[in-house]
Amino acid sequence: MTDVANTGAPAAPKTSKSLLTQDARTIKRNRAETRFKMYGIAAISIGMLMLVILLTTIIGRGTGAFQQTFITLSVPLTEAKIDKTGTRDIEQIKKVSTFGYAPLLSAAFAQKVTELGIETDLKPKDMANLLSKDAPATLRDYVLENLDQIGQTVEFEFLAQSRVDGYLKDRVDRGSIANDKNISAEQLDLVDGLLVAGTLEKRFNISFITGADASDARPEAAGMGVSMIGSLSMMLVVLVLALPIGVAASIYLEEFAPKNWITDVIEVNISNLAAVPSIVFGILGLAVFINYMHLPNSAPLVGGLVLTLMTLPTIIISTRASLKAVPPSIRDAALGVGASKMQSVFHHVLPLAAPGILTGTIIGLAQALGETAPLLLIGMVGFIASNPPETIAEGLLSPNSAMPAQIYEWAKRSDPAFYERAWGGIIILLVFLISMNAIAVMLRRRFERRW
Amino acid sequence: MKDSNISENDVITQPVKIAARNVQVYYGDNHAIKDVNVEIDDKTVTAFIGPSGCGKSTFLRCINRMNDTIDICRVTGDIEIDGEDIYDRKVDPVQLRAKVGMVFQKPNPFPKSIYDNVAYGPRIHGLARNKAELDDIVERALKRGAIWNEVKDRLNEPGTGLSGGQQQRLCIARAVATEPEVLLMDEPCSALDPIATAQVEELIDELRQNYSVVIVTHSMQQAARVSQKTAFFHLGHLVEFGDTDKIFTAPEDPRTESYITGRIG
Ligand SMILES: Nc1ncnc2c1ncn2[C@@H]1O[C@H](COP(=O)(O)OP(=O)(O)OP(=O)(O)O)[C@@H](O)[C@H]1O
Ligand SMILES: [Mg+2]
Repeated sequence: MTDVANTGAPAAPKTSKSLLTQDARTIKRNRAETRFKMYGIAAISIGMLMLVILLTTIIGRGTGAFQQTFITLSVPLTEAKIDKTGTRDIEQIKKVSTFGYAPLLSAAFAQKVTELGIETDLKPKDMANLLSKDAPATLRDYVLENLDQIGQTVEFEFLAQSRVDGYLKDRVDRGSIANDKNISAEQLDLVDGLLVAGTLEKRFNISFITGADASDARPEAAGMGVSMIGSLSMMLVVLVLALPIGVAASIYLEEFAPKNWITDVIEVNISNLAAVPSIVFGILGLAVFINYMHLPNSAPLVGGLVLTLMTLPTIIISTRASLKAVPPSIRDAALGVGASKMQSVFHHVLPLAAPGILTGTIIGLAQALGETAPLLLIGMVGFIASNPPETIAEGLLSPNSAMPAQIYEWAKRSDPAFYERAWGGIIILLVFLISMNAIAVMLRRRFERRW
Repeated sequence: MKDSNISENDVITQPVKIAARNVQVYYGDNHAIKDVNVEIDDKTVTAFIGPSGCGKSTFLRCINRMNDTIDICRVTGDIEIDGEDIYDRKVDPVQLRAKVGMVFQKPNPFPKSIYDNVAYGPRIHGLARNKAELDDIVERALKRGAIWNEVKDRLNEPGTGLSGGQQQRLCIARAVATEPEVLLMDEPCSALDPIATAQVEELIDELRQNYSVVIVTHSMQQAARVSQKTAFFHLGHLVEFGDTDKIFTAPEDPRTESYITGRIG
């Protein structure tokens, strides 16, 4: 206190300025600061704008895929057509192909149109054309499951074919169908009539999320479900392999390995590995896992192994970073009371690093989930995932696709109905990624709140 | 507290506990400890004094081989405890550190409960057969660390939530809980108020009955109060080592005299 007073006296000649007015330097500094803040705000605004554009585009284009047009029909399951022998012998009934069921649908459709009193010149066969090409198969599957229903009349909700669906979603209009042999103006008139009558309606379609992919001719029946299982199987492989291997490698490198040129080389290589293009891992997987080890083509197990290679560096880097972030004094404290190195790591360091490790792992998984390039080379892109696996082993070994691969597959097909599904697939993929990030945040909070 | 303590520190010859011969410590190219020879007695408090950066902590860390954890650190020479070379290949530093406890310069409680902080050492060394015994050990250690009264109602709260001085006493409690034979204390009182300091000094005096205590301190008064022997370090050299009374009343080396009279440091 007295010091200040003492030094204040000789400095008296320096005229004291009022604090109420800003001097030139302060004004300049404040301006610079304001300008910098503006740049920051501008940068954030651009970023946010991009995000908004991205999200609105995706949602705008993709939500349509979650809705589908359905046609409700009561179909008489005529015994004469399905079970000619009348014995309900499943082997006999199986001999009737989907082709044999088509007339049932035409008849049912024609009857419905008559009942509703809709005027049309269309032949019953053309009316039934409004149904998805999937419809006869749906009918046949139902009959094979429920033999006792033969002879009865059963109400079905069939998918409408993609042009009808497109018409309801404004993707198809009367102008655009001039050269389209899949649908005619009269058929659209009928659609209008059915729509008014409530027989035809557009609503939420769960099988887009749960269903299997479908061939080119039936976009309305295609779903993400099976490829989702493919992706999840791969994530399982990645989690089971990459997490323990990555964490063990990091703990060894960070806590136990002597610091010499060998560990330096390893360290540099791991960092470089993180920057290796993923397609390189793909061709490695093709050469090693498929050509050399003869694992099945297109199998999620192979995909998972390839993605494990790709995720490992991410996990190792983030684990090492979180181990490094644990203050060395904690290690000293443990060693100081006579804990072994391993005890100090497992009792004290690892619990503190856990949130970081988990976050890194989940980010690695999320990266792997969205990865497409390496899947190209092991045959998971372009594979039509049409049969859901029944067991985990089958899920791992039988050929499958993955979500991003499925999206790519749809986007490259010519029918605009598939294009819409590609956007819908993007939404599902994003929901997965957002949930994974949310889990990462939650775990982080949870572990950190402990102390 | 009382200056008369100096004269109370009557010198009874004790067997040598720690013997260092020609100890050199290098941090990379930095020669931090130069040719130190010293014999530290059992059941005695030895104070290390000297200006900042002279190597007190470094030498202290040699005694329980904490320097092993610093990659660039290299120790040469011999350090023996009870006649056994602790840098012998056959010595497991983990076993050594159970025998030579340490309180660090900065308080470093585990981010666990107060109870677990103290119980950790006894647990990993299997000192308690059951929960009741462990509770006993923890209580005794916290009492010796002069912190029991403050924490007895909040044993399950995190140790990191204590004040700096309380944390340091918790660390002292943690160190004594494993019943070491030698206790190394690196400025244990630098974050403590006079009352806690007095309590810790009392503890040190009590520990002297059974253990050999080495304490680094920047407080001449503290060195004079608690120690029987004092070592003065300067620029990595052990300049002077002898009975505390003698160092403070009739130092032989001019550097020691300058330091204790406040002219270097
Ligand atoms: N971990 C380390 N790495 C490199 N050099 C170190 C390390 N620790 C200490 N040193 C160096 O060793 C010398 C002695 O340091 P030391 O910590 O032993 O000093 P000190 O006497 O304990 O000082 P203080 O009283 O300030 O604690 C210093 O020159 C310091 O720079
Ligand atoms: Mg020190």
